[in-house]
Amino acid sequence: MAAASPSVFLLMVNGQVESAQFPEYDDLYCKYCFVYGQDWAPTAGLEEGISQITSKSQDVRRALVWNFPIDVTFKSTNPYGWPQIVLSVYGPDVFGNDVVRGYGAVHVPFSPGRHKRTIPMFVPESTSKLQKFTSWFMGRRPEYTDPKVVAQGEGREGETAGAETLFPEQPA
Amino acid sequence: MAEVHVIGQIMGATGFSESSLFCKWGVHTGAAWKLLSGVREGQTQVDTPQVGDMAYWSHPIDLHFATKGLQGWPRLHLQVWSQDGFGRCQLAGYGFCHVPSSPGSHQLHCPTWRPLGPWREQLARAFVGGGPQLLHGDAVYSGADRYRLRTAAGGLVHLELGLLLRHFDRYGVQC
Repeated sequence: MAAASPSVFLLMVNGQVESAQFPEYDDLYCKYCFVYGQDWAPTAGLEEGISQITSKSQDVRRALVWNFPIDVTFKSTNPYGWPQIVLSVYGPDVFGNDVVRGYGAVHVPFSPGRHKRTIPMFVPESTSKLQKFTSWFMGRRPEYTDPKVVAQGEGREGETAGAETLFPEQPA
Repeated sequence: MAEVHVIGQIMGATGFSESSLFCKWGVHTGAAWKLLSGVREGQTQVDTPQVGDMAYWSHPIDLHFATKGLQGWPRLHLQVWSQDGFGRCQLAGYGFCHVPSSPGSHQLHCPTWRPLGPWREQLARAFVGGGPQLLHGDAVYSGADRYRLRTAAGGLVHLELGLLLRHFDRYGVQC
């Protein structure tokens, strides 16, 4: 019996990072990137992007809208390592420094069709009160050197995070 | 061999009286199952909710199993712990749920419980912390010796799991 050759399948993701809800922060921009397993490779489109800086609307909704397009196609032979989209949101603090306001990640939906995802976001937090004060004061908050760690399960044991529930909504 | 992909996230937890929570999770399967890729157990970060009362972990789960039989379908077991300002950890609840068996996306809400000791221990827990824990983790997902336990309810753990099944039709299983 002839061995079956691995079959390649394509995953096309079209969508946008629509908006966010951050009660406490304004003037935010977001970056997205994709994290995927070894059997996956992007074939078309951009796998990373930085959005514009948006301010809260003046109306009662107080919405932060990016409407930032996502357009990428992956090819793979194995569902293991299904792509995740990692979002990082940044904004200015009181002193004008650019600090991270939240990280979040979610798997790209499995079934074809239109999906809307609301992603909770979190920031890493220092465990000592002195460190929290100095990082607030100096504008150097704990930040990940590589946001892609947010999409990985291993090595999270040491972290403490405060969840700012901000919700980028992403129809795909 | 039939294959099962479990891809999803441990979203977070609600309903616990403690606020800085983390979750240790693991997947238990029967003898016929083999893990081809992925990590079978892990621990989330500690999350302190700033807005609302749900602690969000968004911890990814990506597992690829191969199996020869349906017995021992994977079960996800969870331990939710809280961490206080001094770095001490206290058990908040144990829970388990079966991985769904139909393909597609599923939202799971896993209830948790914690063992209760005599009233002296409950009073000590309120002041000093601590409390009884299970010696053998398998009581969480097996029903064998549960009748010996006295427990109280914990909160809910929310998961979103997607299932992809492959080659089950070769074994006469329709899904």
